[in-house]
Amino acid sequence: MAVRTAIVGVGQTHHTTKRNDVNVAEMVGEAVRAALADAQLSVKDIESFIFSNMEAFEGILLPDHGIIAEVGAVGKPGFKVTGGGTTGSEAVGEGCHMISAGLYDIVMIVSWQKHDCGDATAGISAAAVPTFAKGMVTGAVSEFAKQALGYMNESGAREEHAAMVRLKADRGACRNPYSHLKLGLTSVDEVLKSTYLVWPIRLYDFCPQSCGACVIILASEKRAKKIHKKPVWVADFEVVHQEPFRAGSFGDPTGTETYSQHVACERLYKRNGITDVRKQVDLAEIYEPSTWEEISLYEHLYFCEKNEGWKLIEKGVTEIGGDFPVNCSGGVLATNPIGATPVIRIAEAALQIRGDAGEHQATRDIKTAVATALGGPNWTALFLLKRSL
Amino acid sequence: MAERVGIVAVAQSKYHPNRADVNEAELAYEAIKQVLEETGLTLPDIDSAVTCCQDAWDGRTIASLNLQHVVGAHFGHEFTVAEDGINAAYVAMSQILAGGHEIVLVESHMKESQGDKSLIENAGFDAILMRQLGLDFTSAAALQARRYMDKYGVTPEQCAKAVVRNHSNAKNNPFAQKPMNITVKDVLKSKMLVDPIRLLDTKPISDGACVMIMATEEKAKKLARKPVWIMGVSNCYETHYLGDRELADCDALVKAAKKAYSMAGINDPLTQIDVAEISTEYSYQEPLWMEGLGFCSRGEGGKLVDSRTIEMGGQLPVNPSGGVLPGNPNTVAGMARVAEAVLQLRGEAGARQVKGAKVALAHGYTGICGQLQAVMILANT
Amino acid sequence: MAEGSPAKQPEQPEYIRIKFNLPRPYNWSTGRYLGKLYAEAKENKKLVANRCPKCKEIHLHAPTPVCPKCKVDMGWDWVELPQTGTVFQYTYQVYPLWDPHVGGIFADPHPPAIILLDNGVYLRHRLEETDTKKLKEGMRVQAVWEEDYEKRGQGFQDILYFRKIEE
Repeated sequence: MAVRTAIVGVGQTHHTTKRNDVNVAEMVGEAVRAALADAQLSVKDIESFIFSNMEAFEGILLPDHGIIAEVGAVGKPGFKVTGGGTTGSEAVGEGCHMISAGLYDIVMIVSWQKHDCGDATAGISAAAVPTFAKGMVTGAVSEFAKQALGYMNESGAREEHAAMVRLKADRGACRNPYSHLKLGLTSVDEVLKSTYLVWPIRLYDFCPQSCGACVIILASEKRAKKIHKKPVWVADFEVVHQEPFRAGSFGDPTGTETYSQHVACERLYKRNGITDVRKQVDLAEIYEPSTWEEISLYEHLYFCEKNEGWKLIEKGVTEIGGDFPVNCSGGVLATNPIGATPVIRIAEAALQIRGDAGEHQATRDIKTAVATALGGPNWTALFLLKRSL
Repeated sequence: MAERVGIVAVAQSKYHPNRADVNEAELAYEAIKQVLEETGLTLPDIDSAVTCCQDAWDGRTIASLNLQHVVGAHFGHEFTVAEDGINAAYVAMSQILAGGHEIVLVESHMKESQGDKSLIENAGFDAILMRQLGLDFTSAAALQARRYMDKYGVTPEQCAKAVVRNHSNAKNNPFAQKPMNITVKDVLKSKMLVDPIRLLDTKPISDGACVMIMATEEKAKKLARKPVWIMGVSNCYETHYLGDRELADCDALVKAAKKAYSMAGINDPLTQIDVAEISTEYSYQEPLWMEGLGFCSRGEGGKLVDSRTIEMGGQLPVNPSGGVLPGNPNTVAGMARVAEAVLQLRGEAGARQVKGAKVALAHGYTGICGQLQAVMILANT
Repeated sequence: MAEGSPAKQPEQPEYIRIKFNLPRPYNWSTGRYLGKLYAEAKENKKLVANRCPKCKEIHLHAPTPVCPKCKVDMGWDWVELPQTGTVFQYTYQVYPLWDPHVGGIFADPHPPAIILLDNGVYLRHRLEETDTKKLKEGMRVQAVWEEDYEKRGQGFQDILYFRKIEE
């Protein structure tokens, strides 16, 4: 749908394992201030707030209510969204709706997760059907493990290819001041030494639990250009849910089912005349909780043909200096505060389009980017961002 | 872009203290089936679903996972607004006005019977400063009630009168959980829970669901025999720490009402609104919220409860359905108020009908002492 | 888990840590549809699922009033599922993780698996064999039920695991 809403400010905290030095509100406040500074707006200019956070990870009820004062929302309208991994995307999407509807001109999207308050695996395991899930689910990890097995069998990819994905992510993370895991890895062998969590997913194949917040300020067309020299346009977005696959959560090992990514891409690419993603889009920030998921997403997002994803990473196509850079920021593999992660993808893609990504700026000029999110079970959010409409 | 957003169909389950016979999906589906039947729509006709539930209450991360099938979310679009039901309607409205989604299913459900209310509510308080005090929504409400009543001289009798009137009205409501034949004396004699809140000043544990279909003006006119239009809506946050709030006031409600009124062209609620459905889980909230909504001036809420103005047949009947006190689940309450307002404006409210109602107000709140307040104005022309 | 080194971090003072464990009990209802699966498992040691009248797909995880794909009312058409199948995929847990349904760190020794039942329906469950070297995709397996009636009533968990069928 044509939204004509622009991103006029982004802000993040320095994502990390533990933020013992701040409480939730203070942590979120850091990102709010950063975004306001980026947009050169005052908190008074924000007309409405949309919050993105998953209650399970901090073990609370109504998480938005606890931080109202610190984000400047007292006396303002707003609400919180719940949607699993895609929550942040829904929040940005709703912000675009509220602005396109003519209800507000400036909306702040506030997303965060402070994983040191709880246990992420426990929180994710609690997404299983409560009546029969005991002992059956080991969080997201076992689901990704099954996906990895299926992919290796079908495509001929090897564990080395997953290791290459981690190395690319780590290089990006080490260039990105905000990212969480900066491991300083130097070789495939080093990655292959890390312990298995649920075979064949190793520790290094998987994302961390991060404490962090990310804030995006959206503005209507008529206000955007007055606020920021380089507004980044949300040209279109699509969020697609799906029934769990019959034989998997994040992947279909039977090879017979349609993925929500396919549906989202077919709709959004068609609406925007995109027939060759790697030619018509310059960069992607994708939501890859595991190295194997990144390789799969290359295929499901139509960056390449089926079973060819591992070749893109092997050939360096998706490196920061490559033809189609993916996750120059280090991606989810380096940083994952669940409520904030989809918003970070959008914020990072926006920074790339603005040319403001500093050391992790892609080599090519980025005019158009896609940002994705992944929720359980394999829900997809897909955003198309542009320098000019 | 659509001009106005219409509510095309509404359905409520009969509120009940313990629906152990259904899970969340089946509970919601009871109401969803009704709105689909009424409009002749099927789930594939729905462009988007906005659900309303709380992970902490359903005991499941991404609680709407329970409902994906029954809202038709496969290769579709759905997300949860984790506030009171009226806010889900607000969000659905913005989806429709933005273009792209023409028919939206709005759902809310809650099974208060399945969790421990106090434990879950306690998790809504700030972990460092308030949770350790063992507060829940009732004890926080007691703080507000005491502050409000002391500041303005609102009496327990006046609050009890609100209870009696709501229960009496509820007898005409086929969805009401448990309308009781009680007097002011009964309320004042009932067991003290947290001073000054007594048992009969509160609502019972309740399970239920409320569902609506909303659409663009064009589609609403085709789908509904009598579409009801949303003329104005807004919500507003208060700060969280109880110590930072003047609990005798409800500034968030004043602001939300002001914005909703201005969108709908209302400057004198008592004369311009024909019927009001407001959410009150505790009796003191009726006089307090009515002040916030501008039905009377500050501090006069008790007198308004005493008067005939808000009774059936009065100038502005409040809660012909009986409201929340006879039994409504917390997250559903606000959407149920919208549903009741819609029935009033369609002339389908049966024995609880306010004759000739043209403009209605629906109100809902979320959180501790109404930290987030929402107001919606609806009309049938 | 490897620690990140954030760009700015103050001198780490001593923090007071208060561990806060609050068990939160729930009474979940299975509802009619999942309830039927539970009843058949408990009473008859049978595994049942319902079938969509339109697309004929059988929904095991979990029986539901509305077909997720066709979005039509499922009605009340039940099929009994076979109790034998082949192992489609399996994995095994190496690193114990937190299971909220158990309330603690839990590493189930029984490998989680996807079993393709003989009628083409996929079931997620566990394998009896804990020696991972003896596991193989394509193995024929058979459901092993909890024999004690009093202990049944756990739905899918009334099947303890799937045991290799010796040829």
